[in-house]
Amino acid sequence: MFSGKQTKPTFKSYLPPLQTDLKKSPQLPIKKLEAKLLPGEIVVNESNFVRKCIGAESCQDDLWGKLVCTNFKVSFIAHNSLAQQRFQCTHRLLGEHDIPLACVEQVVTVNDVKGKQKILGSNQKLKFNPTELILYCKDFRIIRFRFDEAGPESAKKVCLAIAHYSHPADPQLLFGFEYVGKRYHGSTGERVNGVDPGGGLQTPLFDCSSDWDREIKRTGASEWRVCTVNQGYFISPSLPEFFVVPVSLADQDLKQYACCFYSQRIPLWCWNHSSGSALVRMSNISDPQQQRKVEQRISSAITKSHPLRSDVFKSDLDKNLPNIQDIQTALLKLRQICVIDSFEESEEKWLSSLESSRWMEYVRTFLRHAVEVVYMLESRHVSVILLEKEDRDLSCVISCLVQLMCDPHCRSLHGFQGLIQKEWVMAGHRFLDRCNHLKKNDKEESPVFLLFLDCVWQLWNQYPAAFEFTEVYLTVLGDSLWVPVFSTFLFNCPRQRAEHSRDFASSKSIHLGQDQALCFPPVWDWSQQFSLKDQTLFNNPLYVGKIATCVQNGTVKTFTHRRSKKNYSSTLRGLPSALRNGSLGPNDTLSRRNSLVLRLRSDLSQVREQQETPSERFVRDFFSRPVDLQGLLLPQLLPSHLSVWKLYFLRWVPEAQIPQGGPITAFHKLSVLTDEIEMLQNQLRQYQGAAGTPNNLHTEHSKMYFKATSTPHQPPAPPEYLSSSFPFSPVGNLCRPGVLGTPLSKLLNGAKIWLSTETLANETI
Amino acid sequence: MEESGSVDSVESLCSSTTTRSDRSNGTRVSDTELRSKGRAIQKVYKDPSKAELTLLPEEVIQDSAKDVTYICPFIGPVRGSLSVTNYRLFFRCTDREPVFRLDLPLGVLSRVEKIGAATSRGDVSYGLACKDMRNLRFVHKEPEDSLKKSVFEFLMKFAFPVSNNMSLFAFEYKQVFPENGWRVYDPLAEYKRQGLPNESWRISKVNDHYELCDSYPAALVVPVTITDDELRRVSSFRAKGRIPVLSWIHPESQATVVRASQPMVGQNGRRCKEDEKLLQAIMDANAQSHKMFIFDARPSVNAAANKMKGGGFESEDAYQNAELVFLDIHNIHVMRESLRKLKEVVYPTIEDSHWLSNLESTHWLEHIKLILAGALRIADKVESGKTSVVVHCSDGWDRTPQLTSLALIMLDSHYRTIRGFQILLEKEWLSFGHRFQQRVGHGDKNHTDADRSPIFLQFIDCVWQMTRQFPAAFEFNEYFLITILDHLYSCLFGTFLCNSEQQRLKEEVPKQTVSLWSFVNSQLEEFVNPLYVHFPSHVLFPTVGIRHLQLWVTYYIRWNPRMVPQEPVHQRYKELLAKRAELQKRVEELQREAANRTASSSSERAGSPTRSITPVQTFV
Repeated sequence: MFSGKQTKPTFKSYLPPLQTDLKKSPQLPIKKLEAKLLPGEIVVNESNFVRKCIGAESCQDDLWGKLVCTNFKVSFIAHNSLAQQRFQCTHRLLGEHDIPLACVEQVVTVNDVKGKQKILGSNQKLKFNPTELILYCKDFRIIRFRFDEAGPESAKKVCLAIAHYSHPADPQLLFGFEYVGKRYHGSTGERVNGVDPGGGLQTPLFDCSSDWDREIKRTGASEWRVCTVNQGYFISPSLPEFFVVPVSLADQDLKQYACCFYSQRIPLWCWNHSSGSALVRMSNISDPQQQRKVEQRISSAITKSHPLRSDVFKSDLDKNLPNIQDIQTALLKLRQICVIDSFEESEEKWLSSLESSRWMEYVRTFLRHAVEVVYMLESRHVSVILLEKEDRDLSCVISCLVQLMCDPHCRSLHGFQGLIQKEWVMAGHRFLDRCNHLKKNDKEESPVFLLFLDCVWQLWNQYPAAFEFTEVYLTVLGDSLWVPVFSTFLFNCPRQRAEHSRDFASSKSIHLGQDQALCFPPVWDWSQQFSLKDQTLFNNPLYVGKIATCVQNGTVKTFTHRRSKKNYSSTLRGLPSALRNGSLGPNDTLSRRNSLVLRLRSDLSQVREQQETPSERFVRDFFSRPVDLQGLLLPQLLPSHLSVWKLYFLRWVPEAQIPQGGPITAFHKLSVLTDEIEMLQNQLRQYQGAAGTPNNLHTEHSKMYFKATSTPHQPPAPPEYLSSSFPFSPVGNLCRPGVLGTPLSKLLNGAKIWLSTETLANETI
Repeated sequence: MEESGSVDSVESLCSSTTTRSDRSNGTRVSDTELRSKGRAIQKVYKDPSKAELTLLPEEVIQDSAKDVTYICPFIGPVRGSLSVTNYRLFFRCTDREPVFRLDLPLGVLSRVEKIGAATSRGDVSYGLACKDMRNLRFVHKEPEDSLKKSVFEFLMKFAFPVSNNMSLFAFEYKQVFPENGWRVYDPLAEYKRQGLPNESWRISKVNDHYELCDSYPAALVVPVTITDDELRRVSSFRAKGRIPVLSWIHPESQATVVRASQPMVGQNGRRCKEDEKLLQAIMDANAQSHKMFIFDARPSVNAAANKMKGGGFESEDAYQNAELVFLDIHNIHVMRESLRKLKEVVYPTIEDSHWLSNLESTHWLEHIKLILAGALRIADKVESGKTSVVVHCSDGWDRTPQLTSLALIMLDSHYRTIRGFQILLEKEWLSFGHRFQQRVGHGDKNHTDADRSPIFLQFIDCVWQMTRQFPAAFEFNEYFLITILDHLYSCLFGTFLCNSEQQRLKEEVPKQTVSLWSFVNSQLEEFVNPLYVHFPSHVLFPTVGIRHLQLWVTYYIRWNPRMVPQEPVHQRYKELLAKRAELQKRVEELQREAANRTASSSSERAGSPTRSITPVQTFV
């Protein structure tokens, strides 16, 4: 496409030919292009006169500017700004065209004249001058820069710098350290970055025993206690300092058992069902000789903690669920069909390719497994142990899903954040390895957390009014994995965080003041990334407007299930056994070649074969009753009922965008209505309260992103910029060859695929 | 849905055929309140607690049998009693808790078959294949007395009245509704809404007595420059006499959507100068463009093959300035086969492991995509290109109405309202002679008839796909679409009977039967999409990629008991509306109170705390 052909002056024309787009180099008044730097951020290398590709077919929309590599991000500072729609929120840490280095998956340099291409790693050499740089990002973006007008040397240098800095050799080279460390430079204790270790947050971090105490009280787990044997991480390197165990197990016992478990991980309590059944996670017992004994002791302790002394059910996750490599493979395939393959070619085989990626299948498997566990807790009233070799990946997903289904508190924003804190961060999910921030060991990389978010999204999609947050929230949360400044996602376990923070502080001779270690902000401090206004995109109008009795975090309150247990027992206790066992027998030997007969017969045989299991019956019973959004929620698991999380996976694909459409248009309408309700409630409050209070109708922060208009009697029109990708935008974020950027070709895209008789060239208006 | 007698129980006239997917289970008070208004009419017919059979006016029980076993593919055999009326099949099992019932109009049956011979026990089995994506199977004792007819013989008789020289139940059903749905569509009023006739277009009476074309409506809009005589000559050149006539005109650019059937070009490349003149006149009527597009819905190969049978397509020589585009949409047989495969994939059970590739192999979504893509191109040419288009397929009564009506929905927001959509169906489908009788096979036992095809279902599916992409752009909800499809088969209403306007008049359908719109428009609340926002000039351009198309599970998979209506956003929205109305009332009361107080206590003047607040609109 960037053919070097330039229009030559012909003898007819004595004027130089009109400059093509290519030649329209920046002759604009030289604006000072400086990267915006965060505290601790330094520029490593930069190159001027770089072009960022916006559309693939023509370069007329391309942006000119400066490409900068810092120790945090790849920044592009454009001369001109994009006329088209883009990301609607302003990210506080990242500019419009910035990509955090941690988000860069692959750095590809191309020289299209020489036809060369190279994937750059750390400390590598590049034998050609790149004309093009393609960044494949972990969040599915593909970003391209052209160096046609840039100095060849500086282009090469900036590419090498990006490649090098996106492969940090040591965790402490991750930008978060410099960023947070800067807080302690200069005058002591001054909050340079506004870093708040969580003091002002409503989300419990579960890094102190009081958070656990509250959780025990909230769930009514009176037979469980907070255990402090691991303070200073002396027992287990990967467990948190505080966790919860059965009261019947003394610290001495725990210390004794610890050595039998993988990585000395003493089984962890996750949550209690209102019936008293507990959810516990446990790693494998490494010593086979001790296995039976220890297992028995643990089980009996859990049994003792159950009000009914019920049995314990062990759920082996490794056996029933895909492993982390499977999950990684699935995501790579999914990415291939979503953003790398050409849209049109992948279109025909989309469904079967989607199936063969197995991503959706895995999402379903996890959800289904969680439902099985819920069944044991809810219906069989037994405690459940989630058993996984290391107890640091699959159990995080399952235990969270179980709690999301059972406990409405987890569906509130703070409840959900606390849940992730509890089951992922504190339980020691290896975020550093799974994100592969150091790009050292690809085998350890796995999008377990993204898979979890997708499972949550499926639940959310089926019960949108049961969650306080939106899918934008889930998407942004997923993206935050790649902004390496948050305590939440930077480390493999709490101990690693403590150690690195300490080491870094001492190596840089930072005076920590009162703090024990560097305090990284948790991702839950959303003001780090977004303004309050933008954060309102996280608020689900369906939930906010609910005026539901949502359990507030912190307050001690046991939730109750409104659906009484009785409901489950009475119905459909099976069919008259006579019917099932034989009285129909002879009819089965029907013979006729009619296809209908065959089909009907297979129907019948299916009935016979598929004896409903008790858990299936449990699920069916659940669905035969009205759903209580503040009670148990089970997902629909028919494969036809799970969808692709389009906002996450397809937001960058221009062809997949629905201009002025998509679920966001309904969200807009709901948001406005909820805002009106809030206004009315405020009014009422004013009337009921002091009459003299200022008549401030819109209290400064409404919870809704879209506000009711001041012009009544006219439903507000959805803004023009809304699209199915909102608040994200494909513009400039997905530049693979063959992408058609112009609106018309996009419109006609569907038809074009099937078109044999007409060339696209004719498609002009 | 196969009601397990559960909470939601029976609705609407065709009873349990229609699932209320759009509604959650009626637990919330506000919801019940909201709905109660719409219920008055239905009330008579239902009593969910007893799950008794309540008959419609003129409905008569023909036969009943106890001890019939329904072999449910989901929960296994269920023993109960079965009744057959002249309208429905009703099966009920009271031994179970909750009560199990099956209630379906006989119209949905496409075949009833006795399977196998009676066994030693005297049991005999019957299979019922339905037009609405399910199969039913019953086992029943053969009556001892061989002279006595089985209940299933009554079923055969009343399920296929046409084959048995009886009339459809629609002709007996005499329910009176507050509104007469037959008055919904008045062609002249509709053309007037579009600003027709105008200086370029006239309404011709040449087909007043269906002499020009028996499958076209009486009122036709044609260019003023073409005389009726010329139209007659054109009609001999177009298949089945279906000449190019106007469907819709753009209010600003005057670009038009014109529909027709294929030209009878044949192998020798026949030409018709009147036809050429007509198309030129259509182009000339639009000053904005010197070009026009002819959209042939067929794949080019099929179009070419039609030349063998005398048909074909417009040649570029004969029609200068016209560009011909093939839209590659397959014929009725391909579509029928695709739906058959889809039924295999979704009923009764869905195979867990290969769902997506199985779905792909049915090609159903691919066909949906092609149709939507074709309509999108048409709409784009008219809206963005300001160019007039002519749309045809072979006969112009299957793919053509699919394309024109979808394009019209994209172009004209009027057709996205409930009444507008009814008008669209009446106009593009019914008056222009989509052969409903043939395609659906009302009351006809000949289930292998090659003329049957789910063309209309496909169209409704396309509309549903658009409602998914633009949740606030349509006044109607999903339940409306499902209701239409259920009554497409039920034969309770006259709306979808016969093949053409002429036939319907001959059979006195409007006089003898009730219109579906009478029923619908008498309880509109049920069908309203609360998220709807009316934007008069908003053109919809859906994204037709397969990534954005989804199987309409709430229709195709609704019989599966694992398929439960999901907690719908609409429901929540209605609750919020109710909440707002309540708050508004209270605020207004307080305002009035405060105003009274200030007025009475003292005329202290206007520092009043009751500064009037933006009155919020109440629309439900």
